[in-house]
Amino acid sequence: MRRITIDPITRLEGHGKINIFLDDTGAVKNVYFQVPELRGFEKFVEGRPAEEVPQIVSRICGV
Amino acid sequence: MATADFEPRIIGFLCNWCSYAGADLAGVARLQYPPNVRIIRVMCSGRVDPQFVFKALAEGADGVLVAGCHPGDCHYADGNYKTMRRFHLMKKVLAQLGVEEERVRLEWISAAEANLFARIMQEFTEELRRLGPFKPGRKLAAGGEG
Amino acid sequence: MGKLKIASYWAAACGGCDVAILDIHEKIVDVANIADIVFWPVATDFKEKDVEGYPDGYIDVTLFHGAIRNSENEHYAQLLRRKSKVLVAFGSCSMMGGIPGLANFKSRDGILSRVYLESPSTQNREGVLPQTRVEVPEGELELPYFYEDVKTLADVVDVDYFMPGCPPAPHQIWAVLQVIASGNLPPKGAVVGASDKSLCDECPRVKTEKKVKKFYRPHEIIPDPEKCLLEQGIVCMGPVTRGGCGAQCTRANMPCRGCYGPLDGVVDQGAKFVSTLASIVDADTPEEAEEIIGKIVDPAGTFYRFGLPGSLLRRARNA
Repeated sequence: MRRITIDPITRLEGHGKINIFLDDTGAVKNVYFQVPELRGFEKFVEGRPAEEVPQIVSRICGV
Repeated sequence: MATADFEPRIIGFLCNWCSYAGADLAGVARLQYPPNVRIIRVMCSGRVDPQFVFKALAEGADGVLVAGCHPGDCHYADGNYKTMRRFHLMKKVLAQLGVEEERVRLEWISAAEANLFARIMQEFTEELRRLGPFKPGRKLAAGGEG
Repeated sequence: MGKLKIASYWAAACGGCDVAILDIHEKIVDVANIADIVFWPVATDFKEKDVEGYPDGYIDVTLFHGAIRNSENEHYAQLLRRKSKVLVAFGSCSMMGGIPGLANFKSRDGILSRVYLESPSTQNREGVLPQTRVEVPEGELELPYFYEDVKTLADVVDVDYFMPGCPPAPHQIWAVLQVIASGNLPPKGAVVGASDKSLCDECPRVKTEKKVKKFYRPHEIIPDPEKCLLEQGIVCMGPVTRGGCGAQCTRANMPCRGCYGPLDGVVDQGAKFVSTLASIVDADTPEEAEEIIGKIVDPAGTFYRFGLPGSLLRRARNA
């Protein structure tokens, strides 16, 4: 089985990785898309004042 | 965690006009107190930038004492009032950073209060011995923001 | 002299720094005249393998954005360090941890659990957490390891220059690119693309005496647009923050949150702000001080909004 790895995937915001597995005839057997990125906004906005949250979460994506 | 042979390291920022003289008097009077404190003399407790306290903790102190003249007695009129206000805010920040309240102390010690100085050092050392070593960044079992 | 080779990479970042580079607008054409881009995931299609294929020191300048959150971020930091003559920690995240650095108030377990197990919009009945290696029928897949702490770029590799800002202001980026093109580089370790005075120096608001009896949250006050925000009792980090941004926030009635980092000679911006803020509190008794200071919500999360990983204590101990 052959494998094609596209890493990093580009021209978009964020981190991504694609693994394509091909069978012996060269047909696509399976594809895996992975996001190797986590920052944890869901957690670290806890405890911050509500009025500050819009400024914090605007940094989820700056594109 | 606290162990029997743990000797806490204390950094003491003492003001030149009252508290340092108080500590000096404790020595002259041959009062017994634990030798765990490393004293740094500053001209006024108001000179103690909170960065000094954070740096002491970051670089190996288990506790920090800031000591100055009693309110009203400051050589520079109101330096110790600034210290008092800063101390309140600093404690709030340190609490959020998971530094136990007991590790940082503010005391007013006059040049005559050698006994008070010796007693505070005794208390503080015992308290820190109970708390155990301070390790910045080290996880505690519970508390804080979680 | 041949054209410069420039790379731009994001680690734990939002892409805002990349967009800020594009915000130099038509001058980007001038950049293309003097430099070739050899790696820039947001805009070009170079892969990791391409970068690995470059000889060491091949890239003239790498602008590295984002904090070091996981093993992949660190891997790229080391890779790009090796391949670059000059490595710039570009933006608040890379320089001091930035917004992703707020995660240092929390634990790794707490973050993973919140995101993958407790989040109301996530279905994960088997309670699967990301694994660094997983076997699938076709082979093995890998993911980076999520570190316990967020680190700065300088925590993991040698950094030549630091450029603060969330994001750095486009006029500063253009100025720095011109310096790079000229070849007259500042001494190593310099903070570039910023002022050496505080934000207050470029903030147009009228400053008189700072004595505060009460701190306000936004819903409790309509700020006077001409007067210093701090003097009105609005927590603003201008006095302890490096200028150079053009005071964009305070001009828009928003208090400074310190993204340009500490001034020269200051090690810990948050601790320094404790000193500043408490010094202007107008109280003579501990009780009064307690009451006024009690109105400041989330001091650590505010004073270390952009810089907890780069600060003296680096993280909350109990998280």
